[in-house]
Amino acid sequence: MSDAMVAEPSGKVAKRGFGQRPPLILALGVALIVSVSLAICIGAIPLSIGGVLGFAETSSIEQTVLYSIRLPRVVLAALAGAGLAAAGAALQALFRNPLADPGLIGVSGGAAVGAIFMIVFGAGFVAEALMPYFIPLAAITGAAAVTGLLYAFARWFGNFEVSTMLLVGIALNAMSTVAIGGFEFLSDDTQLRTLVFWTMGSYGRATWTTVLPAATVIVIAAGTLVSRGRALDVLQLGEVEARHLSINVDLLKRVTVISAAAAVGAAVAVSGIIAFVGLIVPHIVRLILGPSNRWVLPGSLLLGATLSVLADLVARIVIIPAELPVGLVTSALGAPFFLWLIASARSRA
Amino acid sequence: MIRVTLALGIVGLLAPELGHALECPSLGVDVDRSRIVVAGGSITEILYDLGADERVVAADRTSNYPAAALELPQIGYVRALSAEGVLSQEPTLLLGEDDTGPPEILDQLRAAGLPIAILAEQHDSQGIIDKVRCIGDLIGMPEAAEAYIAERLQPAAERLVAAQSLDKPSGAILLGIRDGTLIAAGTETSGDGLLMMMSASNALGQMSGWKPVSREAMIVADPSFLVIPQRGLDAAGGVEGLLEHPTLKFTSAAKNGRVFAMDGMAMLGFGPRTLGAAAQLADDIRAQEDASSQ
Repeated sequence: MSDAMVAEPSGKVAKRGFGQRPPLILALGVALIVSVSLAICIGAIPLSIGGVLGFAETSSIEQTVLYSIRLPRVVLAALAGAGLAAAGAALQALFRNPLADPGLIGVSGGAAVGAIFMIVFGAGFVAEALMPYFIPLAAITGAAAVTGLLYAFARWFGNFEVSTMLLVGIALNAMSTVAIGGFEFLSDDTQLRTLVFWTMGSYGRATWTTVLPAATVIVIAAGTLVSRGRALDVLQLGEVEARHLSINVDLLKRVTVISAAAAVGAAVAVSGIIAFVGLIVPHIVRLILGPSNRWVLPGSLLLGATLSVLADLVARIVIIPAELPVGLVTSALGAPFFLWLIASARSRA
Repeated sequence: MIRVTLALGIVGLLAPELGHALECPSLGVDVDRSRIVVAGGSITEILYDLGADERVVAADRTSNYPAAALELPQIGYVRALSAEGVLSQEPTLLLGEDDTGPPEILDQLRAAGLPIAILAEQHDSQGIIDKVRCIGDLIGMPEAAEAYIAERLQPAAERLVAAQSLDKPSGAILLGIRDGTLIAAGTETSGDGLLMMMSASNALGQMSGWKPVSREAMIVADPSFLVIPQRGLDAAGGVEGLLEHPTLKFTSAAKNGRVFAMDGMAMLGFGPRTLGAAAQLADDIRAQEDASSQ
């Protein structure tokens, strides 16, 4: 079958000749490079392109801003956006559900529980100076724990039914909400306010020490997801059909779920909950590139990074010298988009 | 717990000066104190009172007093600063309250070579006096600070001590209503400190931190008066709206209509204004009690 005919989850079939796609992917790549350049140069302290590239004189303050504040931040924004969007695209393909979002299977919630646990109770057994490292570690652990639970359920049920997994995800999310509520109640005033800002999401706390481990996880996980594009396309025909076409469906599901979990967990760990990137981006990419996951996954990677970097840029510059939480910007864009998706799904039904 | 509180109260009566001095951070002599970014409303208030307002180049969102401070570039909320935003004001010094953060941002600022002084917080009269003294030392105006303390703060602190009595009315400090639930001060909060300063006891002293309070817990606590920031009161629909809230309806405070509202930072910021706020509240409550007992 030709991948241009695979039905898009929203039901439309976008037809694109094969030849159009490489230039479009290239355009997405250029857009990413442009937005990263803008994000590096624009900010409360403007930096010149020449200074950034080392052609012009820069003051030591500008050097510090560039290397210790802005670069790690832009790198984090790009990678977290890429990871969330690729995870979203993969999960939408896996569940054959256009509304699937990384938060859906409970991974974001699990990461949040891990991080919040560390914020509230960590002081008892972790030295203050180590907290910036232990919070991300705990979030990744939380995401991994949820993934493990999903995995255990899948084995217990014998068959990794998509609907079962969605329901388990709902239950796990409910459990996360309870745990977070409990931690909030046990937290003191200072911790509570940290939690509130953390759940809004921000790339502002990025430092190389927290960004690099998360970046490694995201790069590996997102790379794995992109490499599964073709298999995910075949899966759209149905599980039985995919098996007949010699796809190892169980392995595919496991790899997809675990990679998505790792990407989301690592992103949430360093930046808090950045909503809707995993939902919006794959949909826009399908409109541009058509429904084939071979193209949607790398396209989402690029566009996710671009949108996330631009959203962070907006968050940084609208109220200089203060800034908005970037989660607020992505939610402001994403929530109406989500409603539009539901409305268009209903009008087709 | 009650015994400890009582014992502390008596100690407070007998030895008002006993509060230990707060540790004050020190800055190198070569630190330029000419362009100060402030995180924390009480610090801004003190800098303006000491006449150092020209040096303040930006302040955080809690710096709402004096009104002139609202004209300053605003660097966001004290606990959610932005490193670049602060640096863009070209500061030579950051003075912050003890909840200034997030810690990663402070690390970034230190790495950028910005001297940072974070002031310790103690929720009593001595804590306010120590804060002023510390700021005076930090900005190189110790004489002005001492004069200000002797003239403006010491008398107010002494009045508060003189008004201390063992007959403490029990009250509750509310932040406001969030999602239909009252948020009130337990122990180890600025609200609790305010109650101690005004010689009242905390009706919700069995919980610690700012917490949502259930209907039943509030009925059991039965505060005889309530204090709430003006903004929280407005959001709750004024005194009537607040007292209509089912959680408060059956308390003595609601029955007697004893609700006191004031600017949130004056009440809980623990700058110089908090001394005045505590004295004012103590007077108002006694006056109402006297009026109702006659």
